[in-house]
Amino acid sequence: MKAFTRNCSEKIMTQSSLHETLRIGLLAGAVAAAGILFDNAYHIQVLVFIGINTILTLGLNLLMGYTGQISLGHAAFYGIGAYTSAILTVHFQFSPWLALVPSLGLAVLVALIVGIPTLKLSGYYLAMGTLGFGMIVFIVFRELDFWTGGSSGLAGIPSLKIGPVDLTSGRNFYYLVWGAVLGTLVVSRRLIESRVGRALRSIHGSEHAAMAIGVNTQAYKLQVFVFSAFLAALAGFLYAHCIGFISPGSFDFMASVRMVTMVVIGGMASIWGALLGASLLTLLPEWLHAFAEYEMIVYGLILMLVMIFLPQGLLRGLLDIYERSRNA
Amino acid sequence: MQELLQYIFSGLTNGAIYAVIALGFSILYGATRLINFAHGEFVMLGALGLISLWQGLKIPLAIALVLAVLGVALIGFLFERLAIRTVSRPEPIVLIIITVGASIFLRGVGMLVWGKDAHSAPAFFSFAPIDVMGAKLLVQSIWILGVVVALTFALHAFFKKTLVGKAMTAASISKKAAWLTGIPYEWMILLAFVLSTATGAVAGVIITPITMCSYDMGTLLGLKGFCSAMLGGLGSLWGALAGGIVLGVLESLGAGFLSSGYKDAIAFGLLLAILYIRPSGIFGAKDLHRF
Amino acid sequence: MKDPEMHDRDREDGEAPILRICGASKAFGGVQALEDVSFEVSQGMILGMIGPNGAGKTTLFNLISGLYPPDAGRIFFNEAEIQRLPTHQRVRMGIARTFQNLALFENMNVLENVMVGQHVRTRCGFWGAIARTPGVRREEAACRESALALLDMVGLADQALKPSADLPFGWQRLLEISRALASRPRVLLLDEPASGLNALETGRLGDLILAIRNQGITIMLVEHDMSLTMSVSDRIIVLDQGRVLASGTPEEIQTHSAVRTAYLGEHCEQR
Repeated sequence: MKAFTRNCSEKIMTQSSLHETLRIGLLAGAVAAAGILFDNAYHIQVLVFIGINTILTLGLNLLMGYTGQISLGHAAFYGIGAYTSAILTVHFQFSPWLALVPSLGLAVLVALIVGIPTLKLSGYYLAMGTLGFGMIVFIVFRELDFWTGGSSGLAGIPSLKIGPVDLTSGRNFYYLVWGAVLGTLVVSRRLIESRVGRALRSIHGSEHAAMAIGVNTQAYKLQVFVFSAFLAALAGFLYAHCIGFISPGSFDFMASVRMVTMVVIGGMASIWGALLGASLLTLLPEWLHAFAEYEMIVYGLILMLVMIFLPQGLLRGLLDIYERSRNA
Repeated sequence: MQELLQYIFSGLTNGAIYAVIALGFSILYGATRLINFAHGEFVMLGALGLISLWQGLKIPLAIALVLAVLGVALIGFLFERLAIRTVSRPEPIVLIIITVGASIFLRGVGMLVWGKDAHSAPAFFSFAPIDVMGAKLLVQSIWILGVVVALTFALHAFFKKTLVGKAMTAASISKKAAWLTGIPYEWMILLAFVLSTATGAVAGVIITPITMCSYDMGTLLGLKGFCSAMLGGLGSLWGALAGGIVLGVLESLGAGFLSSGYKDAIAFGLLLAILYIRPSGIFGAKDLHRF
Repeated sequence: MKDPEMHDRDREDGEAPILRICGASKAFGGVQALEDVSFEVSQGMILGMIGPNGAGKTTLFNLISGLYPPDAGRIFFNEAEIQRLPTHQRVRMGIARTFQNLALFENMNVLENVMVGQHVRTRCGFWGAIARTPGVRREEAACRESALALLDMVGLADQALKPSADLPFGWQRLLEISRALASRPRVLLLDEPASGLNALETGRLGDLILAIRNQGITIMLVEHDMSLTMSVSDRIIVLDQGRVLASGTPEEIQTHSAVRTAYLGEHCEQR
């Protein structure tokens, strides 16, 4: 009986692991197919942005979902990734690949400095703290105009090249970004299915009990926070070199709100929720051309309605409805 | 010396505004342990509402003032009923996102109704500024300070002396005890929201003569108001007043003597400092462990 | 109020007590939950703690497990002072507990609950998880093995993949105990484990407690169920209004006059 149970459990757990691998494989396939099928440069651009936003959202999704930390200033890390690389490549003629390391490193450092005192706070205080931090960084981007170009922004950011191949042109960048997305998904998934992931899920389940079984909740919250900052900075790096021009306006409070909205609408603590949320909110402005006027109203309504009626997010909400109709 | 006084005067004026906004935060927190991220937007609605009523529709000032405050209080009422009461999972993260969503939503509405331009209103009274050792003190500033202090007194009296006010405080301390003694907990929360947003509207109307108002003025004001409330101790009315004045003066001095571009960063830096060092503020917040 | 008899007994055995509480006090607002509580627990003992509601039993557990520090007094675990240490370090040292109102991870299944219970006895960190080396994979498999073994001990092995929230209440209690055991503790604090169980389940719980002790684990038990407490405990401490009222063997406690008064009220005739 015991041996049977052991084999059974092992089989079922490896089976769910296999399903997840299949899903990621399917995504990779879809990405490759789309790369071949889509011809329109505009469509490719949209897909690139979905990819960048997915990387951006993924870390925040894990942070909010597993550790219940809300970050209303995450655009700051997005900006740090973008501006550090931009400044190094434009003013100091760094090669973009070389600039990647300090971009990510600075974001990680700032996340550590900010995270350690902030993560001791909870709920509203944390939200306010991250909001304040985000605003300070935004103001710095705007005021350090000698380096950042101030409100007018910083132009002339070079594209990513390997030899003669320009990676930031059209389809090449698409593959680069989505390669990064898939890599990020795999890494995230490995984290979730490990001892680390179990600890995170225990914090999500009951922080009290998690502490009681010996999980150092503070340390894990910090780790996830830093990881999410790392991913946001990576997204910022890709964004800067893709567009070639950045300005503080892309990293303000509304940018942070957009990120939170993507997490909320897709569903927290879910890598597929991150993908869904990023996709929906990247496509939304494309679908509603008069959107600019109504952007804030729509985002505000989404946040309120989802939280009131479907707090687990669209992905799980729709899956639940599907399950219930199957069982009915 | 004259320069210093000028900065202090303008600091006191701004500080008084922050204080009224902070009062709104403290009222709500004191009664419900909630923080309304959209509070700044209610200030904006009060300000722009007054301007539309007074300048746009030419309604007499006194009536326009009352209408503006009541109108915003009504929106606060609807907000509580529709967005807060209906929440199925009232966890902190959910409520935070809802109020953030409301803040964005109201900003969007503000932009549609009033456009992106800045609007202003003339001073309520047309007296010449008073000269103090070379520095100019606007009569409007004295009036604002007076209103704020009076409002604080009135609210203090309300919470300490009237039955309703005491009931609200009791309900915030223990939901169960309040229920047992017949205090309608849900009405207390609603009243707290209405009172808080009405106070926000008051802040909005008194700010109209001294600054340009636009749809996005709420975010920054709300944050600075929150910072002031934290500084004085969240939940404390006199703390809100003190915190607001302190922030206003510090900001003014910083902008004057250091740099004006980083002016807003002062408030945020101060906020972070309070959160890390002494979250209970100068006067001590009423129990912090809920949020 | 220290029990001199208990102290002498330890001296006799020549072994230091595994847990020692010295003058612990804790107040919440105006309420003094614990006042100058002192006692010792020796290795392998089952110590029962009883007392009226509000006597401070859960507060004492919270002090030992590290939810908050005492206002005064010291706590020694294997003669190491622990009252300022964070909970996760205490778990690593060997203190585990269960909760009065159950605190399962309802977002995980039965097996995962026990696997995560082994957190302090496993090592894979951030980088290891990403790299997924053979060593990490071996640790995962071993983790799963021992979790299943623990579930087998309480009889939950065949429900390993069920969502923990779907278990009947009695089984959920057992799951929480397995999870606590997963960290291989030296001392196990059980907070009202029989609460909500029927007579049959309580009997099995008693057997389980004895089996756990026979593996060399010291147990502290807070309970209201008198028959369970009296039957498994080696010694019993009675708390009343934050103070130690009495301590002794179950027989001594049952005939202790002050205890009877505390439970049954003044002017109670001795039967």
